[in-house]
Amino acid sequence: MPDPVVVLEAVTKRYAGHTAVRGLSLAVAPGSVCGLLGPNGAGKTTTMRMIMNIIAPDEGVVRLFGERWDSRNLSARIGYLPEERGLYKKMKVLEVLVFLAETKGIARRTAKQRAAEWLERMGLADWSLKKVDDLSKGMQQKVQFIATVLHDPTLLILDEPFSGLDPVNSQIMKDTVLELARQGATVLFSTHIMEQAEKLCDSVCIIAHGETVVDGPLAEVKRRHGGHHVIVAVERGSQAVDQVWADRSLVAKAHNYGQYAEVELADGADPQRLLTTILEAGARISRFEVTEATLNQVFIDLVGPDAARPAARGEA
Amino acid sequence: MHRTWVVIRREFLAKVRNKWFLIATLLGPALMGLAMFLPAYLLTKSTGVRNVTVVDASSDQVGRRIAEALDGAPLITAHYLQTTLAAAGDLADSLAAEVGLKSINGFLLVTDQTVTDGQVEYRGSNVSSQMDMASLQRYVEEAVLTERLERVGVDPRLVADARLRVDLRTINIRGGKTTEQSGQAAFFLAYVMWFVLYIALVVYGQLVAGAVVEEKSSRIIEVLASSLRPFQLLAGKVIGVGAVGLFQLVIWAVMAKILIDQQAFFLDLFGIQIPGGRAFGLPGVPLAMVGVLLLYFVLGFFLYATMFAAVGAMSSSEADVRQAQQPVLMLIVIPALLAFGALNDPDGPIALTLTLVPFSSPIAMPIRWSVSAVPLGELAASVGLLLVTTLGVTWVAARIYRVGILMYGKRPGLRELARWVGTR
Repeated sequence: MPDPVVVLEAVTKRYAGHTAVRGLSLAVAPGSVCGLLGPNGAGKTTTMRMIMNIIAPDEGVVRLFGERWDSRNLSARIGYLPEERGLYKKMKVLEVLVFLAETKGIARRTAKQRAAEWLERMGLADWSLKKVDDLSKGMQQKVQFIATVLHDPTLLILDEPFSGLDPVNSQIMKDTVLELARQGATVLFSTHIMEQAEKLCDSVCIIAHGETVVDGPLAEVKRRHGGHHVIVAVERGSQAVDQVWADRSLVAKAHNYGQYAEVELADGADPQRLLTTILEAGARISRFEVTEATLNQVFIDLVGPDAARPAARGEA
Repeated sequence: MHRTWVVIRREFLAKVRNKWFLIATLLGPALMGLAMFLPAYLLTKSTGVRNVTVVDASSDQVGRRIAEALDGAPLITAHYLQTTLAAAGDLADSLAAEVGLKSINGFLLVTDQTVTDGQVEYRGSNVSSQMDMASLQRYVEEAVLTERLERVGVDPRLVADARLRVDLRTINIRGGKTTEQSGQAAFFLAYVMWFVLYIALVVYGQLVAGAVVEEKSSRIIEVLASSLRPFQLLAGKVIGVGAVGLFQLVIWAVMAKILIDQQAFFLDLFGIQIPGGRAFGLPGVPLAMVGVLLLYFVLGFFLYATMFAAVGAMSSSEADVRQAQQPVLMLIVIPALLAFGALNDPDGPIALTLTLVPFSSPIAMPIRWSVSAVPLGELAASVGLLLVTTLGVTWVAARIYRVGILMYGKRPGLRELARWVGTR
């Protein structure tokens, strides 16, 4: 693996009375799309703020591009979309974008040109001379996203990038992120919506209560923690299968949804043997499908009990 | 450095383009003009010719002399009416009716007691006008005085000579040198400076607090904090707003100069007549004075603006700021009021203390400088103390700012603030 772009080594951040992040380690490979997943209050935002050097970790080391933060000069190579969105409401859209690009060290003229291009690309060209306040919330989010990528960063740190967007704009944003990743940018984004992560990520890092629960390439995480899953639907009146679900030599877990049941096989169990056992129990099968676990299931299995327990304080 | 400049420019333009800036900048000189010309204008309007009747109930026609004196005075016409003590009451009633009809402004009742005991009565519709009463008093007094002196046999010409008025001119002495400055002009200059410094610190200081909390409440601060160091942001805010303040003061100074230099034109424009043609003289402002004023404005502004920035950083909303800034405002208001009082004794111990203590010296020193010669040693000590304090306060404020800009919710207590200052 080439040298990772983002490295966190045993990073800890404490606030008065609680620990937001505890001994977290993470490595993001160049050019990859990495999802930082976790329930609310898991420490995702704190982690991202430490990566951006907005807050300093109490323990541990953060390295970007192999360097430790000692100045803001690295920020020119990073695009950061914070969870708390905000723009100067009284300024014109184009002026805000140019200003934010200038704070990254981009020359005024270049900034103007690029801002115009991006506004065109996001369908906001007609709004460039309007005040930010006059834009809808969705449009403001797009402007904020443009501000994140305007200086052509090679690393994107996006905190909940798709929250609050309608499906159409959400899709535009996803496509844009993937396009930037294809062009070589490294992307680290946080979300608690697993479907999004599953579509976008090469690798994931699931955290809960400030600690890593699991991380690695998406496929590997699913294989390692997903187990074998079978979806079974039987015809009405077949009570007999209930005994089968209770057989711990075959079935580790079964969720009966009514229309169908989702079954996680016990270690080493063969789906074929499950099929014969059900048939032998006298049930009539209408659907039998061997599937891969969804990230959602992995997530719920791993952090489910934790997520239900509210954190001591809100997500910091 | 370039990035700090970018923040300064944005702050400056955002404030200068604001319509309130335009209104305040134009309104300032308008109020200034009003303050200059309105008194003169009102004077011209109100001092029409006063019509006064002198009712003489004395036995030796002393009223005639008074009537002549009044008639000779500017803006007064006096009529003489002789009567007897017995008829005076009825006459007074009918004259009161005349006053009611506005054909006369009032009437003077002169009796024998006027000369012997100095008793004279005026009844009229303009008794509340201090100017009218003062001139009435003066001319009647003069006439009575002349009458008394002549009665004891003094030569009337001698009396006329003796009546020459004394005119007290006050001239300011600075550092053993007599200046061109009159006492009044020195006081006026001190007052203007006090006003400008006080308003500048209060208004622009609060603007800084507002600008900081605006970035917090609009949540743009996190984007900024990811690309700029907190100190760059803080410096950008403070210098940006300070530049706006200086810009506005320069505009006002230029407009004031035009207003004063061209006052003949403006007086003409509003049809105001003033003896001498000038309502207002520009006191001579020495260059050193301007230097001291600017130096203390800049240092004082940094001292207070960084404190206001810290206040903005520890608040979450405009309403929060208004509460949290009270202690800082008090730090300006109290010394400012004391400094004004110190004008009475500009070289006394109170004035000396106020010009040395860093939180009062930004206002007290320029004022003191304008009215007396401050020894250079004291100036150096004052500037030194202020500079050190400003640096110290900026350091503390920057640390509070750095932590505060990302904190939302309850405002921190003093203990919490101390912890912020201590964080790595």
